Amino acid sequence: MVFQEIYQYKSMIQSLVYRDLHGRYKGSFFGFLWTFINPLLQLIVYSIVFSIILRMGIENYGLFLFVALIPWIFFASSIQAGSSCIIDNANLVNKIYFPREILPISIVTSCFINMLYSFIIVIAAVIFYGENNVYINYIYLPVLFAVEYIIVLGITLIVSAVTVYFRDLSHILSILLMMWQFLTPVFYPITMVPKEYVYLFELNPMTNIISSYRDILFYNTVPEIFLLFQSFIYGLVLLFFGFIFFGILKKGFSENL
Amino acid sequence: MSDSVIEVKNVWKKFKIYHDKPHTLKDKVLFWNRNKYEVRWVLEDISFEVKKGESIGIIGKNGSGKSTLLKLLTKIIYPNKGSINMKGRVAGLLELGAGFHPDLSGRDNIYINASIFGLSKKEIDKAFQEIVDFAELQDFIDNPVRTYSSGMYMRLAFAVAINIHADILLIDEILAVGDISFQEKCLNKLKEIKESGVTIVIVSHSLEQIERFCDKSIWIHSGQIAALGKCKVVHKKYKEFMNSGGK
Repeated sequence: MVFQEIYQYKSMIQSLVYRDLHGRYKGSFFGFLWTFINPLLQLIVYSIVFSIILRMGIENYGLFLFVALIPWIFFASSIQAGSSCIIDNANLVNKIYFPREILPISIVTSCFINMLYSFIIVIAAVIFYGENNVYINYIYLPVLFAVEYIIVLGITLIVSAVTVYFRDLSHILSILLMMWQFLTPVFYPITMVPKEYVYLFELNPMTNIISSYRDILFYNTVPEIFLLFQSFIYGLVLLFFGFIFFGILKKGFSENL
Repeated sequence: MSDSVIEVKNVWKKFKIYHDKPHTLKDKVLFWNRNKYEVRWVLEDISFEVKKGESIGIIGKNGSGKSTLLKLLTKIIYPNKGSINMKGRVAGLLELGAGFHPDLSGRDNIYINASIFGLSKKEIDKAFQEIVDFAELQDFIDNPVRTYSSGMYMRLAFAVAINIHADILLIDEILAVGDISFQEKCLNKLKEIKESGVTIVIVSHSLEQIERFCDKSIWIHSGQIAALGKCKVVHKKYKEFMNSGGK
């Protein structure tokens, strides 16, 4: 069974994630602090731009955007980096046997941990800028994290395997992800979408996810459990197909690198 | 037989050889008639068995399919026909220092490299001191790997590879490591590993190395087994063949 084998190789996932997180900022003066400086600077830029220049008519827009953008970045950067993860590790794939699923899993996990670090800044910003915070709702955050992780991993498994055979995919994805971002309520609330199009937006698995983050952290309400459950099922189906699809394509990886 | 740890049965492997593979759309449109490939059988009907604790050497001239065979055993690629059965933990040493990150310390890289071979953190903790001692890098273990000389780099990589405690060890041309005394140390270590019951398959151009610790040799010529048996016998045939022009 592939899952058993992946479990056996869990220390490989750990060390690849460690290599990614620590290797990334090695040699730079701020080092690991960059993990926090990055989102912090983003927050500062957004709050200045959107409160002084581009006034959006949404109160506290900087925070409104920030709580949705960090989870979105996890989604987009995992898929973008994941799409080339097999090619980037061609030397490993060509020389050593290990369950190939380890590579996309490691990428998604390292982006995920990066998001968790960024959430320290998110929570700090919410405490600092937010009004009438209802902290009890935060118990839904771990559920949300898990559901998003499942969706992201499912998609990443598929794109990472396809990119080996069709290299253009990783360029196509960067455009696609930008379009996807505008079609997901990241910059605007779902209530701004005209009624007749809302059902289309609900086909997008990320709509519920992003809205739920915002419900919890910005509107201080409980996320819609039914919609969240729907996303969970969506994610499981994606993950299931992801593993099957990857399992078929992985046998030809080495010969196509 | 039940005591075979490696069973290779009627294995065939083909590669598609593109004469001039058009990669881009422009090439595909302009040179549509060039998109031809030739199917080449790199291995044809290979069968053999290796018993537990046996060591075998694979010899043959460049391009004969030796490394392809080793890749098949490692499960990096899969056969088109036939089956391969391996029992126990397999470690394929086709490249040293896989996954090394130049900016991380030797210590970190030991953990990364060993984990790629499927070792758990506990197992690495246990083997750690032995690896450092074998690589003779006690004083440099916390320095970033990019500061290592190429000899130190290879020593570290080999030390990790040799301490994996696999049941089957597959080795491809990696014994040319470091200076003569370190090579000697590696060969002795391999002997020791062999005596502890590990099965070893080694691809090499150095017939002496193979003779030093292998029981059998397989000579592969253009994808087929040309000879299989006692090292000395197979090597004699091989040498005669090579001396007569190798065609």
